[in-house]
Amino acid sequence: MIVKDVLVILFMLGGFFLFFTATLGLLRLPDFFTRLHATGKGDTLAALWFLVALAVHHGFSLTSAKIVFIAVFLFLAQPTATHAISRAAFRCGVRPWTLERAVLLDEDTVEQGGEK
Amino acid sequence: MIQESDDVIVKAVARLLVPFIVVYALYVVMHGHYSPGGGFQGGVILAASFVLLGVSHGLEKTRRRMSEKAAMVLSSIGVLIYGGIGALCLILGGNYLDYAKLGKILRVTPAEARSLGILGVEIGVALAVMAVMCTVFFAIFTAEESPEDYRSLE
Amino acid sequence: MTQFFMIIGVGMCVLVLLCLYRATFGPTILNRAAGISAIGTKTLIILLLMGVIYDRIDMFIDISMVYALLNFIGTVVLAKYLERSGEV
Repeated sequence: MIVKDVLVILFMLGGFFLFFTATLGLLRLPDFFTRLHATGKGDTLAALWFLVALAVHHGFSLTSAKIVFIAVFLFLAQPTATHAISRAAFRCGVRPWTLERAVLLDEDTVEQGGEK
Repeated sequence: MIQESDDVIVKAVARLLVPFIVVYALYVVMHGHYSPGGGFQGGVILAASFVLLGVSHGLEKTRRRMSEKAAMVLSSIGVLIYGGIGALCLILGGNYLDYAKLGKILRVTPAEARSLGILGVEIGVALAVMAVMCTVFFAIFTAEESPEDYRSLE
Repeated sequence: MTQFFMIIGVGMCVLVLLCLYRATFGPTILNRAAGISAIGTKTLIILLLMGVIYDRIDMFIDISMVYALLNFIGTVVLAKYLERSGEV
């Protein structure tokens, strides 16, 4: 019993740490693509850790099987959604942020995330 | 008019996910009595699968599976199932949607008749909601095809 | 254990508020979409945590599955719309 609780706590703290870093990246990184890279990968793995923790906590049953289904679905859907929206952004003319372009642009545009 | 997406990843994932979404929608409809969900939610998930199909594979292939005419007919059939079961209970001597009276023609106990009656109503609601959501989807995504129809409405 | 789940849930709510900054003040609609997508994932986990706390996880798991599904479809539809319109 105590082993199970320790496992659940470890997995949840790991997932929470990943969610925190993903949110930090979403807030602090300079442009759209880097922000999407932070959330697209961080959120997927963090959700997997949370789901594993919940499956361990609940034990072996139909509910944990459904949790596994959610994990599989998230691992298919989340990268696809990230890919679709980043591709749409590239087609719309948003160009990735680089240090040279950031120096060329004025301070205001860098604040805006280096778009265009 | 949405063209077929030239994005291989979205198309492949949509092709993989749509059957499972439909099966999950049927699960939500069937387990409406003892888990969250029911007719409305299952119908919305069914319509979401058509939206995903339309966005990834273009409107032509979606129309081949669910045309506007079929959506119109299905919405009417859904309302007919709902109202028909209610009226059947009325004819058999109960109140509107009093499923226990259905046991007389189904030859089951009143408790089983209640469960079956609710299932029938849920299926009717799911059909109607799915068809109407598909109609809304088609109306939004083909708005630029026939602008004069919308101008005449103003 | 319930106390631990509640603490984690409150922490997740704080993270959702932080993401809401990007969803509200994000410079373009693309940044807003990224924020909304991140909020959707976190909400799914919060729903499951609520299910564990209330001891009704067999109910909440269906809701969170639908939430994940609609989050995915919404993002893909928005991406398609933006790609078609051709401007941010």
